[in-house]
Amino acid sequence: MFRHLSLALHYFRLGLATEMEYRMNFFIQLITACINLAVSLGGLEIIFSHTQTLNGWTHTELLALIGVYFLMSALIHTIIQPSLQKFMEDVRGGTLDFLLLKPVEPQWLVSVRQVQVMQLANVLLGAVVITVALMRMGTAITIAHTAAFLLALTLGLIIVYCFWLMLATLVFWFLKIDNILVIFESLYEAGRWPVGIYPAWLKFILTFVVPVAFVVTVPAEALAGRLSPQTLGIGVLLAVAMLVLSRWFWRRGLRRYEGASA
Amino acid sequence: MDSPVVCVEKLSKTYLTPVRPEGLQAAFKSLFNRTTKAVKAVESIGFEIAAGEIVGFLGPNGAGKTTTLKMLSGLLHPTGGMARVLGHDAKRREHAFLRQITLVMGQRNQLVWDIPASDSFALNKKIYNVPDAQFKETLAELTELLELAPLVSKPVRNLSLGERMKCEVAGALLHRPKVLFLDEPTLGLDVTAQRRIREFIKTYNARHNSTVLLTSHYMADVEALAKRVLVIHHGKLLFDGPLADLVTRFSPHKTIILDFEPCERDPANYGTVVKTEAPGRVTLSVPKDQTAAITARLLQDFTVKDLTVEDPSIEEVIEMVFADGTRQETATPSA
Amino acid sequence: MLANLVQFYLARFRINLAVQFQYRVAMGIWMLGLILEPLVYLCVWTSVAKTQGGTVGGFGPGDFAAYYLIMLLVHHACLIWHMFEYDFIIRQGILSNRLLRPIHPIHGDISENITYKVFMLVILLPAFGLLWYLFKPEFHTTVGAVALFPFALLMAGALAFFAGWALAMAAFWTNRTAAVNQAWFVAMFFFSGQAAPLSLLPPWMQDVAFYLPFRWMYSFPIELCLGRLDTRKILHGFGTQALWILGFLIIMNFAWRSGIKRYSASGG
Repeated sequence: MFRHLSLALHYFRLGLATEMEYRMNFFIQLITACINLAVSLGGLEIIFSHTQTLNGWTHTELLALIGVYFLMSALIHTIIQPSLQKFMEDVRGGTLDFLLLKPVEPQWLVSVRQVQVMQLANVLLGAVVITVALMRMGTAITIAHTAAFLLALTLGLIIVYCFWLMLATLVFWFLKIDNILVIFESLYEAGRWPVGIYPAWLKFILTFVVPVAFVVTVPAEALAGRLSPQTLGIGVLLAVAMLVLSRWFWRRGLRRYEGASA
Repeated sequence: MDSPVVCVEKLSKTYLTPVRPEGLQAAFKSLFNRTTKAVKAVESIGFEIAAGEIVGFLGPNGAGKTTTLKMLSGLLHPTGGMARVLGHDAKRREHAFLRQITLVMGQRNQLVWDIPASDSFALNKKIYNVPDAQFKETLAELTELLELAPLVSKPVRNLSLGERMKCEVAGALLHRPKVLFLDEPTLGLDVTAQRRIREFIKTYNARHNSTVLLTSHYMADVEALAKRVLVIHHGKLLFDGPLADLVTRFSPHKTIILDFEPCERDPANYGTVVKTEAPGRVTLSVPKDQTAAITARLLQDFTVKDLTVEDPSIEEVIEMVFADGTRQETATPSA
Repeated sequence: MLANLVQFYLARFRINLAVQFQYRVAMGIWMLGLILEPLVYLCVWTSVAKTQGGTVGGFGPGDFAAYYLIMLLVHHACLIWHMFEYDFIIRQGILSNRLLRPIHPIHGDISENITYKVFMLVILLPAFGLLWYLFKPEFHTTVGAVALFPFALLMAGALAFFAGWALAMAAFWTNRTAAVNQAWFVAMFFFSGQAAPLSLLPPWMQDVAFYLPFRWMYSFPIELCLGRLDTRKILHGFGTQALWILGFLIIMNFAWRSGIKRYSASGG
C-alpha cells in the first residue's frame, strides 16, 4: 500500500521534471485558465442581469459551482486524463507489454503514470473561486458542512475515475477509438450549470450515463448547504458500484489482451 | 545438474480470428453467423534452457518466435502446454517472477521521452525496489560497459537511435534479472551500434551467467551470440541445436565457384549449376562428401583460372529450411 | 482554369469523404460536443424565463428553443478549424508540400471544410429532428424569411471561413496561435449570439457586437429565420455580410502574401 503511494509520488516528481523542460507553459496555462474563468463569470453576469436566481441557485452559489467545475476539471487533467491517454497510446503502439512486466499492479501503474503538473494552476484557481464564494455566502462553515463537501468531492473523483477507466478499457476491443475520452469532455461542458436546469432525460444522462452531475453539481450542492442525504447516499452506492464494475471490466480487458479466454 | 531455467512442454497458442467475408452477401450473412478461423501461432513446442545459455530463436516474420517469447515472459496465455521459467509458471505473472526477468524490444522504448535517461533509471529502481548499494554498483558497471556517461543526462528524445537503445538496455538490466528476453534488439540500428549491443550482451552474459533468449532476423546477431538456435516456422520447432549442426543437417552441400577457360565440357556434369555469371564462371553445388573428388576432376578436366570452395551462407541455409515448409522432423536437443 | 478547379473539387470531395469516413467515430463524438453547447444555453435561458414568470426579454421557452435550434444549423454551417492546424502545418513543413502543387492551398481547405459539413449532415439532421421533438420550439415566421435563410446561411458560412482562414495566417508570425485562437473564440462566444440572444446582452455589448463580424455569422441568419427582421434590416444584414466577406478576402490575401514571403525567406 505504502509502496504504491510512494510510486505515485515518484511519478508526480517525474511529471514536474518533465514540465520544467517546458517552463513557459505554466504561465500560459494559468492565463488560459484565467480567461476561461472570465468567460464563465461573464456568462454568469449576463444571466443574472435578468434574474435573481437560476433554478433556485443564487449568484454566489453558482459562483461556488463554477469553482467546483474548474477544480474537478483540473484534477481530472492532472492525473486521470493524461495517464489513461498514455495507456491507450501504449496499447496501440505495442508498448503496454513493458508495463505488464513490472512487478506492480498494472491498473495502478496505468492510472498514475502521467502527471501534468501544470494543471495544478487550475486547481488553485478553482480553490480560489470556491473560497471567494464561501466568503460571500457568509454562512458559518460547520464541520458537517466541510465533511459533506469533501465526501462529495471524493465520491465525484472516484466516479469520474471509474468512468474514464471504463472508457479507456474499450481500447482492448476497439483499437481505433482515437478520441473516446473526448465524450466526457464534451458532456462536461454541461456541468458549468446545475443539472437541475436540464430536462429529465438529459439530467438522467448527465447523472448515470456520463456522470457529470456527481462531479460538479453534487459537491457544489454540498458547498451551498443544499445537499440532500438521499443524493449523497446514491453517490456512495454509485461510487461503490462503479469501482466494482470498472475493476471487473479492466480485468476482463486485460485477460483479452493476454489471450486468456475467448 | 541444476534444474533448467526455462522448461517448455507442448506449448501451444491458437488464435481465433473472425473470418472477414468478401462481398456483400457474405458480409450480410456474417451479421448473423460470426465464423472464426483457428490460427495456430505456436504448435506444441518443447525445449529446456540451462542457466547462462544464450539461445537464438530464428524464423521468418509470423513464424511464432515473438509469440513464444511472450508466453515465456507471461505476457500471453498459452492455449495448451506449459512454460516454466525460474521455477514459476510464467502465465501467473507472480511478482517474484517478474522481478527476475526483463524484456527489451527493438524500436520500442520504455524510457520516458522528455527527461534524461538517469531519471528513468531512478524510476525503475523504485519500481523494482532495488537497494541503493546494489543500484549504484549495477549502474556503474552498465555505464562502463555501454559507455553511457555522456548520454544519461540528455533527454532521451535528443539521443540517436543507437544511443537510445543502449540506454534502453541499461534500464532493463538495473534490477539484475536472471533471464533476459530480447526481441529483435538490434532492429533499425546501424552496423556499429548493432555490433556494440552484441558485444555488450556477450560480455554481460559471461560476467553474470544470465540466461538470454534472443529473437532476430539478423543472422549476424545469431552467429555472434547464440551457440544454440531454435528454428521456428509455422509455429513448429524445426530445429534445436548448435548453429553449425543446422548447416550440416539441412544443407549437406558445398559450393564451388569455378573460373575457367570455356571449352566443350559442360560443368553441369559435375554438379548442380546454381549460377552462370559468364561463359567462363559458374557456381556449382556439390554433395559435401564428394567435394574433394569433384574438385580434383574439375582441376583435371578444365583449364582452371580460379576455384573456390565455400560453405553455403547461413542465410541460404535458413532460406532453404523455410522454403521446405512442413518438415516433420525436429532435431533432438544437443546434450 | 475554372474547369480545372471544378475537377479538383470533385476529386478532393471523394478523397475527403473516404478519409472522414475512416474517422467517423471520432467525428461523431466531436459532433456530440458541438450539438450540446447550444443545448446547454437553451436550458439555461429557459430556466431563467421560468423564474421570471414565463418570458425574459421577449423570449419564452418556445422562442429560446427556436433560437437555439436554428443556432445548431448555423453553428454547423460556420464551423472552421483550420486556425488550429496552420501552426502545425507551417512548422512541420507540410506547407512546403502544398506550395509545390499548382493549386492554392486554400482550395484544399475549402473542399475539406465543405465535405465535412455535408458528411456530418447525416448526424446533424436526425439530431435536429429529435431535438425539435424534445424541446418544442415555437416559430412565428414567414415563408419569405425562411426562404431567404439558406442564402444568409451560405453567406455566413463563407464569412466564417474567410475570417477563420485569415486568422489562421497568424501562424506565420507567432507560435502562440492557441492564445490568438482563444481570444477569437471568446469574442465570438459573447458577441455572436451564442451565450445569449444579442437583445439580452447589456447595451454596451450590443453596440460592440454591431461592429464585429460575429453577429453577421450567427445572430443575423438566426433572427432572419425566426422572422424577427423587417425588410430594411434584412437588406442591411446581407449587405453587411457581403462587406465583411470582402474585407476578410482582402485581409486574407494580404496576410497570405506577406506570410509566404516570410516563410520562404526563412527557408520554408
